[in-house]
Amino acid sequence: MKNFWRIRVGKHNLGDLTFHTVNGIVMIFIAVIMIYPFWNTIAVSFNDAQDTLRGGITLFPRAFSTYSYESVFKNKLMGTAAVNSVLRTVLSTVFGVLVGSMIAYVLSRRELIGRKFITAYFLVTMYISAGLIPTYFLIKNLGMLNSFAVYIVPGLVSVYNIIVIKSFMQSLPDSLTEAAMVDGAGHFRCYWQIVLPCCKPVLATVALWCAVGAWNQWFDTFLYASGADHLTTLQYEMMKLLSSAMQSGRDNSSIFGNNQQMADTITPTSIRAAVTIVASVPILVVYPFMQKYFVKGVTLGATKE
Amino acid sequence: MSKMQKTLKRLAGQKVLFLMILPCMIYTFIFSYYPLSGWIMAFQNYKPAKGYSGSTFVGLDQFKFLFQDIEFWRSVRNTLAMSLMNLVFSFVFAIVFALLLNEIKSLGLKRITQTVSYLPHFLSWIIVCSLVSNMLSTNDGMVNNFLMAIGLIDKPVLWLGEQKYFWWVTTFSNVWKETGWNSIIYIAAISGIDQALYEAAELDGASRFQKMWHVTLPGIRSTIVVLLIMNLGWVLNASFEVPYILGSGLLQDVSQTIDIFVLKYGMSIGNYSLATAAGIFKSVISLLLVFGTNAVANKLGENSLM
Amino acid sequence: MKLKKLCAILLASSMVLSLAACGGSGSEPKQDTAAEDTKEPEDANTDTADAAEEESGEDTAGDEAGADASGETGSSEENYYGGLVPLDDADDPITYTFFVRDPGVVPADNNPVIQKITELTGVTIKFEFLVGDLDQKLGVMIAGGDYPDVIFAGDAGSKLRDAGAFIPLEEEIPKYPNLNAMYGNVLKYLTQADGHVYDMEIYGTFQNDVTEVAPPFECALGFYIQKAVLEEAGYPEVKTVDDYFKIIEDYMANHPEIDGVKTTGFEILADGWRNWALLNPVQNLLGAGNDGAVFVNQDTLETSFFQISDDAHAFYQKLNEEYQKGVIEAETFTQNYDQYISKITTGAVLGFYDQNWNFQSAQDLLKADGKFERTYVAVPITNPGVKDGYLDKSNGIPSGTNGIGITVNCENPDRLLRFFDWLCQREVQDYLQWGEEGTDWVYSADGGKELTPERRAIVRDTARKRDETGLTLWNYCPKWQGIYTSDGMPCGTGESPDEYLASQSDYDKSFLEGYGIKYPAEMFSDPIVRAAYYPVWALTLEDGSPAAVANTKITDVTMKFYPRLILAKDEAEYESIWNDFLKEFNTIDLESYQTEIDSQIAQKMAK
Repeated sequence: MKNFWRIRVGKHNLGDLTFHTVNGIVMIFIAVIMIYPFWNTIAVSFNDAQDTLRGGITLFPRAFSTYSYESVFKNKLMGTAAVNSVLRTVLSTVFGVLVGSMIAYVLSRRELIGRKFITAYFLVTMYISAGLIPTYFLIKNLGMLNSFAVYIVPGLVSVYNIIVIKSFMQSLPDSLTEAAMVDGAGHFRCYWQIVLPCCKPVLATVALWCAVGAWNQWFDTFLYASGADHLTTLQYEMMKLLSSAMQSGRDNSSIFGNNQQMADTITPTSIRAAVTIVASVPILVVYPFMQKYFVKGVTLGATKE
Repeated sequence: MSKMQKTLKRLAGQKVLFLMILPCMIYTFIFSYYPLSGWIMAFQNYKPAKGYSGSTFVGLDQFKFLFQDIEFWRSVRNTLAMSLMNLVFSFVFAIVFALLLNEIKSLGLKRITQTVSYLPHFLSWIIVCSLVSNMLSTNDGMVNNFLMAIGLIDKPVLWLGEQKYFWWVTTFSNVWKETGWNSIIYIAAISGIDQALYEAAELDGASRFQKMWHVTLPGIRSTIVVLLIMNLGWVLNASFEVPYILGSGLLQDVSQTIDIFVLKYGMSIGNYSLATAAGIFKSVISLLLVFGTNAVANKLGENSLM
Repeated sequence: MKLKKLCAILLASSMVLSLAACGGSGSEPKQDTAAEDTKEPEDANTDTADAAEEESGEDTAGDEAGADASGETGSSEENYYGGLVPLDDADDPITYTFFVRDPGVVPADNNPVIQKITELTGVTIKFEFLVGDLDQKLGVMIAGGDYPDVIFAGDAGSKLRDAGAFIPLEEEIPKYPNLNAMYGNVLKYLTQADGHVYDMEIYGTFQNDVTEVAPPFECALGFYIQKAVLEEAGYPEVKTVDDYFKIIEDYMANHPEIDGVKTTGFEILADGWRNWALLNPVQNLLGAGNDGAVFVNQDTLETSFFQISDDAHAFYQKLNEEYQKGVIEAETFTQNYDQYISKITTGAVLGFYDQNWNFQSAQDLLKADGKFERTYVAVPITNPGVKDGYLDKSNGIPSGTNGIGITVNCENPDRLLRFFDWLCQREVQDYLQWGEEGTDWVYSADGGKELTPERRAIVRDTARKRDETGLTLWNYCPKWQGIYTSDGMPCGTGESPDEYLASQSDYDKSFLEGYGIKYPAEMFSDPIVRAAYYPVWALTLEDGSPAAVANTKITDVTMKFYPRLILAKDEAEYESIWNDFLKEFNTIDLESYQTEIDSQIAQKMAK
């Protein structure tokens, strides 16, 4: 903030000031545009479901109600779901970053025999998919149906992340590891003690990707673990609630005939809003922790030279 | 020493490296390559009830169905157009956003903007699309109101009713939702740039924009190239939801993508084989694109994937 | 599949809604229920079960249960199990898993009704509702053979049947008197090509001796118009498209704004699978009901594509005129469902073509705002001289698309069938749907049944309905629907005239008086007994077959061209778009589709 007010006479600083003012305004403008959808979703989630049907909710609820949240939290599986979601997110992130960075380290070594082939071997998998049914058979044959492992194992290796980490590692100066190698350090020590610490920003990014990816996943619960209540996840419970809200408008007619006034207290729009907030707030708090690895800026200078 | 022996000796020297990577290669084989035997479905009239062994073999019929339908090629065109527009704009916006963010001096503003910008990523497309369609409405929509207020148009434009606007609508919906999220990797890459380079540039009397151009951009260049190549491979996979939600009968000619086509004529009518055939088609194109661009990047001396 | 699923729901609702009079096809309703009043409740269970076992394969068990009951006094109080009394093995708990193709939420563990049912039977049903895509779910379920005990898959049931997922029931059903009373007369329609019965249909009133179809109160689909428009025009008879738009135009001229909002004449929702407003009206104009993608001549059973008929040409040209007059706005084709609903809630929309459940939520809000004159009623619009065919009278024949099946993985199907059979007692049915007398429902002044205000509030709240009543269990198990023949009482709340009238406002009453009718349905011709094939959309097309592809193409092409026709600048442009439309429509493999439909219709009519 200090810099903002330090106006010194001189062309350079005046230009600086103009730039900062303009840039600041642009950024605030962007921030407003970017926050609008989320803000709007919060407003809708706290608005009465019936009233929301009228449309026109923008920044604030018109008819305040917490009913949508109540119906979300009424679910007796919420506790289990939250524990599973957190657990799978933490484990997936830890393993994802460790495995990813390890492969990336190996692939970044120029001396690796068959490096091109091995890289291509991994790369190809990003663009091919066997499809739903063969994958289901694989999971079933591995005995992972209705087991917690199905949340961790199939997504362990993300080639996208590996390539991103690898390209970051390749931009590090060779001198970094050469010195250590000369000192007799093995590859594992090089990876663990020298390369990894230099990769913090990219590892933070990859960790964030892993965490958000694992957190948002519901499809694996749907396909592989829907029979086991104790394995349910938050996103899956949210999907359940949402799809049933989307259904309720339709099945009323078959249950009650044409005459009932179904002034329904749950609508897809409202439930979707509440569900979105409930499901995203826990993962949103992760970001500020990651942020410190970006904002600080890594002073590689000393290590690099 | 024969060549063989040399290689063996080098291998022995790299045994730690291979110990580190072999398990992952086996894993990848099991989870990615082995299930590909399921691709046999594309050459069958697969019925889940009959399984692979019981389903009738139909050769290339599924591919013929795809390639002979003019609608399919139209879908390919639409997918390519939307994906490429999307790719270009989301890269440019994310990079520019990261650069500008990096210039913010106030740490508070920087953090807030950064955090806020990635919020839309957590919303589902249904929510974002419904906001988009409200904003583009001719009935008191924000965009029409604004454009009329500043006198650019004199009556509301039916943004979602005309084919010529549709690709732009999907592109900017994407930019709106994903710019912040996409910029995270660049922000990380920028923070990995050696501070000494900036100091050196400053000593040389470089201006702010010169520093951006000569230090920051080159610093994240390899990241940009690598991401670009990888994402290029996905151009046929992208853009399913937005065209699906915002599209309508009026827009069908420009909004139907490969995935929508496959959904309609594959999964929706129980034709799993068609979905697999389309998947194979997409994989082949993707691999050609990725390895092609990678080779070009190599030629140009850029940092590439391999 | 979305569309088909929706259609199935609609069929289900239309069966509940618009069925009238008795069970069709010449079956004389008998003056009794499936009651068995000669046995003590306690031992009835074992006795008859034994008897049934000995007689398995014959349908005598059902006769015994049904016909032996004394015709005159056939009171619903007595029956085979003795009503809400425990089964013998109630203290031996058993759990069945039940997959439902609909999304939903499992009722709370402490749901008092379901708890009580479990206590009385020992049976717990563990529901799994669909999340995500049904085709994917069934695809992996079939591929892996991982079936739950019971499945309600709707029209996707054919996939499970083909995979051999279900056990045959034709020899089981006759062993259970209540189930036999329900399905015994229609077994031949439930029989698949291989000679087996695999599912028990759960929606609709079938040919039986216990219930008959309930009369319709309202027409559930068609051209809706705001009541205020009819009132101002002096309650005219509105019969043709021209009449319909004439009074809308008149009203628009007099009221350019309603409550400060610009008046909209006519809305056509065309959002994704909610496309019927665009695609369906022409068949109604020709006198058909909600049949399907072809028009079926009811006398000759000849099929034709109404989409490209001269009638369609005329209808969309009329809409085009209305667009040019400003009655229809171009935005109607770009708006999504939420925007459509929010527009209707303003009360400034005068008319639209729809199905009533689809705009129900908007109408509820209008009622909540006290704008009863802004609510809607369907009118019998047809081409001049054509008798309207909006209302169905059930033919009592199962559609074949709404059955539950017991899978080969179910370890104790007998106990499950006995549970279903037990549920089909009238006492249990009443308990599930109406609750307890006094607290949940009361007799109305004229002897009918209506809900108490407390109970009405519960069933209007999705969550409370699910957690405090037995409706989830009722909905997915075999059940009686319609009117009990023995005493004319409604099976459920939706079939109760008293409950219907209790929900009408004063304005609605005066509106009906204006027309001199008791229920809005009386504006229409009498419900039509449909032929056995009806409706076309419920016919199952083989997965991935040319007919299925053609069916999708028909929707695609019509969805693409109809809006353009309506938005044409002038007559010349209209004609040129129409010609393009015909050209593209005729490139579809129409023959495969038509041949398949023709042969399926012939098959069903032959039964």
